[in-house]
Amino acid sequence: MISGPDMMYFWIAFSCYLGATVAASVYAGLRKPALRKVVLWLSVAGLAANTVALVVRTVLSGHPPVTNLFEYMSLFAWAVLLGFLLIWKKPGLELLTVFAAPVAFCIMVVASLFPAAIEQQLIPALQSYWLWIHVSLAVLAEAAFAVAFVASIMYLIGARRGFGSGPSADQLDQVTYRAIGIGFPLFTIGALFAGAVWAQKAWGTPWSWDPKETSSLIVWLVYAIYLHARLARGWRGAGAAWLSIAGFALTIFTILGSVFFEGLHAYG
Amino acid sequence: MHALAWWGIALAAIVLAMFDPRFRKWLASMQTAITLLAVLAALSMAGVLIGQNLPLEAYVGKHGPGLGAFIVRSGLSNVFGAWYFLIIVTLLGVSVITCSFVRIARLVRTPSGLRIGKLGSLLTHISIVVVLVGGLVTALTGFRVPAERFLSAGDAIVVPEGGYSLRVDAARTEFNDRGMLSEYVSEVTVIEDGRDLLSQRIEVNHPLVHNGVGVYQFEMLPSATSIESTVLGVFVTTPHGERGPFDVVAAFGEEVEVPNTAYSVKVLEFLAHFTYDIESRTAALASVWHDNPAVLVQLSEDGEVLGEQWVFAAFPAHDDGGLPCRFVLLDYRPDFEHALTRFEFARQPGTPLLFGGFIAMSLGLCLTFWTRRPAGAADGGQKSGRAGRSKT
Repeated sequence: MISGPDMMYFWIAFSCYLGATVAASVYAGLRKPALRKVVLWLSVAGLAANTVALVVRTVLSGHPPVTNLFEYMSLFAWAVLLGFLLIWKKPGLELLTVFAAPVAFCIMVVASLFPAAIEQQLIPALQSYWLWIHVSLAVLAEAAFAVAFVASIMYLIGARRGFGSGPSADQLDQVTYRAIGIGFPLFTIGALFAGAVWAQKAWGTPWSWDPKETSSLIVWLVYAIYLHARLARGWRGAGAAWLSIAGFALTIFTILGSVFFEGLHAYG
Repeated sequence: MHALAWWGIALAAIVLAMFDPRFRKWLASMQTAITLLAVLAALSMAGVLIGQNLPLEAYVGKHGPGLGAFIVRSGLSNVFGAWYFLIIVTLLGVSVITCSFVRIARLVRTPSGLRIGKLGSLLTHISIVVVLVGGLVTALTGFRVPAERFLSAGDAIVVPEGGYSLRVDAARTEFNDRGMLSEYVSEVTVIEDGRDLLSQRIEVNHPLVHNGVGVYQFEMLPSATSIESTVLGVFVTTPHGERGPFDVVAAFGEEVEVPNTAYSVKVLEFLAHFTYDIESRTAALASVWHDNPAVLVQLSEDGEVLGEQWVFAAFPAHDDGGLPCRFVLLDYRPDFEHALTRFEFARQPGTPLLFGGFIAMSLGLCLTFWTRRPAGAADGGQKSGRAGRSKT
C-alpha cells in the first residue's frame, strides 16, 4: 500500500467542490448570473482535478479506481458532476444544475472518511477485466439516479413553497424520468448482468443472494416500479418524486452496504 | 419448497389465466405487477437486514428470544428459499407472461401501432421471463457444492456428476515481490476413463469447465505438515539458572547453531493442529487449520543429538524437561509452496438461458429508453400542456 500523489488533486477537487457549494448556496438566494458562472468554473476546476486524481491513481495502482470505498466514492462524485454538467445548458434548469457541486462535495466528504492508501496488488477475486465493466457501468447508473434524486428533492420543495423562478414542476418531473431512463438500463447491464457474468466466473454461480446483490436487486425493483407507474399509469408528481428519492436512498445503502454487511462483496 | 409444488403453482396460475378472464385481467394489470414488485423488494430488504441462514442462537442473541424464534419459524432466516418468496416470484413471472401475451395480442390486432419503443418494452418483459426460467432450471437441475476435503499435491478427487477425476499436481499461494498475496493457483490434471486428458491451472476467476461441470478455486491453506522457517527462542539451563533467550531462525529441516552456545537445533516436523493419539502414542494432525501449531525440535550438542521435543505456539510454558534447553515457538512462516487446495463444483444448466435473457433485457431496455423520446416524456407534455417549455 502506498499513499499517492493523487491525494493532492483529490484535495484540490474537494476544495473546488466546497467553494462551488458555497457559491451555489449564495446563488440559490440571490440568483445573480455571475454567481452561477462562479459555480460553473469551480465545478469544472473540481472535475478536472478529480479526473487527474483518478487517472494518477489508475496509473499508480495499475487497476481502475474502484476497489475500495474511497476510490468508488471519488469516482461517483466525478460521475455525478459530469451528469449535471451535461444538462448545464438546458434552459430553465439553472437552479437545478448548480446543485451538482453540493452533491459531489457531500460524496467527496464520505470518500474522505475511508482509507485512501493505494492497493497496488488486487486480491485474486478482483483480478478480472469484469471489474472495469461491472463497476464503471454501475457508477454511471448511480450518477444518473443522483441527478434524478436532486430533481425530485427540488420538486418536493417546489411543491411546498412554489416553484417561483426555478425549474417548473414539469421540467423537474421530466429530468427525474429521463435520468432514471438513462440509469436503469445502465444499472441492469452493469450492476446486474455484468455482475452475474463475473460472479459465474469467480464463484461458480451468477447469483448468491449476497447482501450487496440483493440490495442491488431492490434498487432495480424500486426503479422498475417507478418506470411502470410512470409509463403505464402516468403516475407523476410528489409520489413519483418520493419513489425516486427512495430509489436513491437504497442506492446509497447498496454502495455503503459492504461496510455494514458481511458477504462476497465485503472488500472494503 | 418442493420443486414439483413450485411447477404446480406456476402451471395452475397459467391455466387459470388462460381460462378465467378476471384472473387474467388481474394478473396482467399494472397494479398487480407493481404490488408484486413492492412485496418482492420488501422481502428482499428483510433478507438483507436480518441476515440469512444463521443458527437460531444468532437470531435470539441479536433480536431477543421472541423475535428470534419468529424469524426462524416464519422462514425469514432463509427468506430467498421461503415458500411465500418463491410464490411471489412465480406470480410475478406469470404476471409478466400474461402481460406480454396481452400486449402481443394487441399488437397483432393493430400492427400499425408497432414502434421500436413498444418492441423494446415487449422484449424486456419476455426476457424477464427467460431470466426467471433460467434461474428455475438451475435451481431444479443444477448444483453447487464445495469439495469435502482439502487436497495437496498428488491427491485426486472425483468430480460429482462430471464423469471425471482431478489430480492435483501442485497447489500454491503466490505473492508479489513486495510479499502481497497475488494468486491462489492449483495445477490439476483431468483424468477421464483412466487416462490423463488435460492439464490446466485453476485460479480465482479462471475455473476449469469440463463435461458441463465447473471446478472453482474455493479455498487455500498453507501446508499443514511443513513450514518454510521458524523463529525459536532458546533458553539454556545452567546450574545458576536459565540463560537466554537466544533467538534462532531456522529453515524447516535445517540444522542451526544457537548463538554463544555449543548447541544446535533442527526443526524436524510441523503440525498445524497438534493432537496426541493415545492409542498409538504418537503426535497427529487434528485438522488442516492452524489452530494449535507445533514444531518438533531436535537439540544437538557438538554434533551429538541430545533429544527432541514438541514446542507449541499456544503453550509457551510447556517443557518436557528432559533436555538442557527450553524452547519457545516465537513465530513461523507457513509453507505456501505446498499449499492445501479446496475446490467447489458447480453445474448451472440454466446459465445460457439466464445470460441470453439478460442480453435480450439489456437490448430491450436500450430500445425502450434510448432510441426515442420516451413515451412518458411525450405523454407528460400532452397531459400537462406545459411541456412545451421543457427541452429536457
